[in-house]
Amino acid sequence: MNNLEIAQTPSTPEVRADSGQGRVFMSGDSYPENPFDFFQPIIDWIDDFLKNDDRPLAFDLALIYLNTSSIRAMMDIFDRLEESHLAGRSVSVDWCYDPDNERVGELAEEFKEDCTFPFTIAPRS
Amino acid sequence: MQQCPPEDSLERRIEAILNADTPPDGWKEALGKLFERYLDQQRLLDRLTHIADRFQAAERERSQGYMASYEKKVRQLEKIVRISDQYQTMLHQLKERLEHASNYDSLTGLPNRRYMTVRLEEAASQAARKNGNGFAVMIADIDHFKAVNDNFGHAAGDRQLKAVARALELSLREYDLCARWGGEEFLFLFPACDQTSAPVVAERLRKNVSAAPRISDNIATPTVSIGYTLHRPGESIDATLLRADEALYKAKDAGRNCAIGM
Repeated sequence: MNNLEIAQTPSTPEVRADSGQGRVFMSGDSYPENPFDFFQPIIDWIDDFLKNDDRPLAFDLALIYLNTSSIRAMMDIFDRLEESHLAGRSVSVDWCYDPDNERVGELAEEFKEDCTFPFTIAPRS
Repeated sequence: MQQCPPEDSLERRIEAILNADTPPDGWKEALGKLFERYLDQQRLLDRLTHIADRFQAAERERSQGYMASYEKKVRQLEKIVRISDQYQTMLHQLKERLEHASNYDSLTGLPNRRYMTVRLEEAASQAARKNGNGFAVMIADIDHFKAVNDNFGHAAGDRQLKAVARALELSLREYDLCARWGGEEFLFLFPACDQTSAPVVAERLRKNVSAAPRISDNIATPTVSIGYTLHRPGESIDATLLRADEALYKAKDAGRNCAIGM
């Protein structure tokens, strides 16, 4: 399975998905001009990993600003993780934020609300 | 139109048997056929009922499924809207912070040069439009400020700047404006301030600074030199500022800690 590497731009986050380590890293602002084009490869990668493998999948997130489409895409991703978790798969999310911007932490809490898998939110030390 | 059953049909034979006073020959065989047909019908009815029930159940499940996924979508949408609103609030607050940062001096908390320039231009165009909208411009410069920096360090210099800014700010009325104009220079806009009141106001500024609490025992109380002037309706704000600057130089020449108007 391939790894995924998407460089950061002013309107899209950096994304690294490492199938060897079972880790997905996303960092930065997200307001892509074409949200479907941007998120579909990421969602496909996640689906592939969850389907073709039974190793744990861990997310490291340092997302800051998300526009409405990006919020929706992230909720889709978390829904997939929740589904896998309920089916017995080990999945987790660590969302860290700049302590100077508490609001990002509060927003991560909103995302976490319906998730029953391990989801930690912490200020960057 | 209903078709009559043929002469030898089971229905006719049963009818004939029922009409006879005594059971005719073959009644038992006819009854047996009737019973067989009854059982067939019964089985058919059972199957039909079963199929209809299954259809109904499937239909109910389908609509319940639609309902559930509809409700899930609604919840999801509500969540997206809620999170999106929060992001917008966050951006709005960030914008306000940036706006403040671009208009205010971070050390003294006073409006900065950019903000003051806009306000001066506004005041000048108001004065040009309407008589009686005259205003005074004053520049105050801390005397021997460089010595504080050189002798006691920049941290002390910063504290001195803050102390002077506070003293100047406390001398203002509601509509007066004081900005940090440059290093140790402060610029004032006094609306509705005329020839008579300008010297009084300038003198009040000067006195309030020299009466400010000292920031340290070994650092002398700061004083300021002030140059002031009245804006002449129609002239550019640069011309007004130039005159105030000249007045400030005169105040410095006159030995500092004084206010001179032009």
